[in-house]
Amino acid sequence: MTEPLTSPARPILSIEGLSKQFGDHTAVDDVSLDVRPGEVVAIIGPSGSGKSTLLRCINLLESPTTGRITVGGIPTEVDGKVSQRELVALRRKVGMVFQSFNLFPHLTVLRNISLPQERVLGRSRAEADARSMALLEQVGLASKASSHPPRCSGGQQQRVAIARALALDPSVMLFDEPTSALDPELGLEVLSVMRQLADEGMTMIVVTHEIHFASDVADRLIVMADGRIIEQGDPKTVIDDPQVERTRTFLSAIRDR
Amino acid sequence: MDHLGVVLGGVPTTLLVTATCFGVGAVLGLVLVTGRRSGSVVVRGLSRTIIDLLRGIPPIVFLFIVFFGIGSGAIRLSPFVAAVIGLGLISAAHLAEIYRGSLLAVHRGQFEAAQALGLGRVTTYTRVVGPQAVRVAIPGMVTWAISLLKDSALVSTIGVAEIMSVTNQDARSSGSSLTPFVIAAAIYIALGSPLAYLSRYLERKLSLKGAR
Amino acid sequence: MSTSLINDWGEWLPRLWDGLLVSLQVTGLSLVLGFVIGLGFALLSSAGSGLVRWPAILLVEIGRGMPALVMLQLVYFGLPGVGITFDAFPATVVALTLTTAAYTSEIIRAGLRAVPAGELEAADALGLSHVDAMRFVVIPQGLRIALPTLMGFAILIFQVSALAYSLGLPELLGQAYSIGAATFRYLDVLVLAGLLYLAITIPASWLVDRLERRLSKHLG
Ligand SMILES: Nc1ncnc2c1ncn2[C@@H]1O[C@H](COP(=O)(O)OP(=O)(O)O)[C@@H](O)[C@H]1O
Ligand SMILES: [Mg+2]
Repeated sequence: MTEPLTSPARPILSIEGLSKQFGDHTAVDDVSLDVRPGEVVAIIGPSGSGKSTLLRCINLLESPTTGRITVGGIPTEVDGKVSQRELVALRRKVGMVFQSFNLFPHLTVLRNISLPQERVLGRSRAEADARSMALLEQVGLASKASSHPPRCSGGQQQRVAIARALALDPSVMLFDEPTSALDPELGLEVLSVMRQLADEGMTMIVVTHEIHFASDVADRLIVMADGRIIEQGDPKTVIDDPQVERTRTFLSAIRDR
Repeated sequence: MDHLGVVLGGVPTTLLVTATCFGVGAVLGLVLVTGRRSGSVVVRGLSRTIIDLLRGIPPIVFLFIVFFGIGSGAIRLSPFVAAVIGLGLISAAHLAEIYRGSLLAVHRGQFEAAQALGLGRVTTYTRVVGPQAVRVAIPGMVTWAISLLKDSALVSTIGVAEIMSVTNQDARSSGSSLTPFVIAAAIYIALGSPLAYLSRYLERKLSLKGAR
Repeated sequence: MSTSLINDWGEWLPRLWDGLLVSLQVTGLSLVLGFVIGLGFALLSSAGSGLVRWPAILLVEIGRGMPALVMLQLVYFGLPGVGITFDAFPATVVALTLTTAAYTSEIIRAGLRAVPAGELEAADALGLSHVDAMRFVVIPQGLRIALPTLMGFAILIFQVSALAYSLGLPELLGQAYSIGAATFRYLDVLVLAGLLYLAITIPASWLVDRLERRLSKHLG
């Protein structure tokens, strides 16, 4: 699924000098970040620090004010306007999972996963359905294929959303607080699917407050505040021995909850 | 060529019919909604039937029943009085449903809290639930006023000299027949749009304030 | 009196029945045509470009702002003044179609707007084109959300079709009125006509209520 021709040394995703302004408020401030193939990057930081905006800029749900995004070696300059062709090319390589699942409630679970494959990749219905079933199997939901999303639990819906994104064979998966809307035990099913995905070598960027997940699964932990990366490194090191005062305050705040 | 002047001449009557029917409907609607929420099954069923009949029958048919059916027999009704009875009763039914919806929107806990405090039924409605329901009801009431303004054109058919009626006369007596109708359409839109604006404004404002 | 009333009703019923069929025909035709145009206007008036959106919204507001009776009389008595002449039946269909288009456009537009923004974002993130997102995600759900209101509107337009009596169309009210004029039994015949209208509108609104409850349960 990941691209075998990319050498491990070359980043699969590279972000250079990315900024996003809303009016005169800077939500993301000159962020640069290289992600290696197969790397799992966790991002933490206080609410409003620009984590979601950063993710949404990576697949151009928000158009960044300035910066350059390179996925799989193809750069996209994003100062202002991006062409429709570049946009689609980039989004095909980047999968996204939202906090609120955003499944299409009028379509069955199977159609949710198959429809984008047919429309975006041009797969036949049979091909798409076969791939969807394989993915549903993988996330443990084959029995839900013909249900509608409102009849599934939140944890099940989020696993379907992961399968839907994976079905387009992305190079990178982005997760924006995928478990925040879930009860803890439902969050665990989602985290275990994500863990399995990481073990299989998927490149992932995960915004999360699950500090255990970050320290067990992530290869790197990034701490954001005020739209900037204020600290990054090996997750256990950052968590046990933060170098920046704001990281320390933030970590103790989420531990106290 | 003074089509505009002629058609404008119907405006006061249109406004008078609309306002009177709305007033009648607003009051009788209270009676109907009280019946609709009565403890007695008979009263409840009767109120519901009246509301359903008045809302289900085309307004023009009801107006004809009042004017030609009832008002031309033993009792003589003037066109204006027939109009007010006809559209007033229909308004009552629609407004009763609007009131009922807004009462349902008030949280059950408010009734329970009022009961727990020992407030009587009347006090509960006038002091606790009513004021909260009114905020919810107002945008719907304004929307009904707009419908009523447009429905008031129907009373031209029984001879009340409002906009539609003077428009028809003007079209018939003058050679040009399109212009008076276009003017009439423009006048109705001009009269209705401030109300439409008000309704949208109130809806936004009241829903913001009502939000927890 | 009651037996003679029933006899009279039996005598009038065939004519009223014919009238009812005409009422249902103009209503059905106008609803189908108006709905198609209304869907088009709903999409135009949700368009990104203001150059497309504002003229569409303006036309819809004009259609909604004028009484249906004005629309009917404008088409039938007004348009001949500029050389466009219709018979009563097509004039009624044209007028009710325009009214339906204006109202349904607004109803559908509200339905489209009620589709959660997150789903559009998900469609974007999956790389679906805008047209695909509208076709597969927004329009099917928007229409479903709008369905009870659309059906409620259909009942309303059936009631409005009674106004076509004023163009001389022999629909239900027109038939009742001419029987009344011939027999001077206005009350009896109008009440019978009213009952026929109610025989359609009351079961129909009961169905709409049920549908509304079922859909809200399904979506919630
Ligand atoms: N669409 C928007 N318009 C204006 N401001 C926004 C928008 N989206 C996010 N912001 C602002 O950008 C900042 C970062 O938001 P966000 O990326 O959502 O933070 P996080 O995900 O870390 O909580 C916040 O101050 C937020 O208010
Ligand atoms: Mg966020």
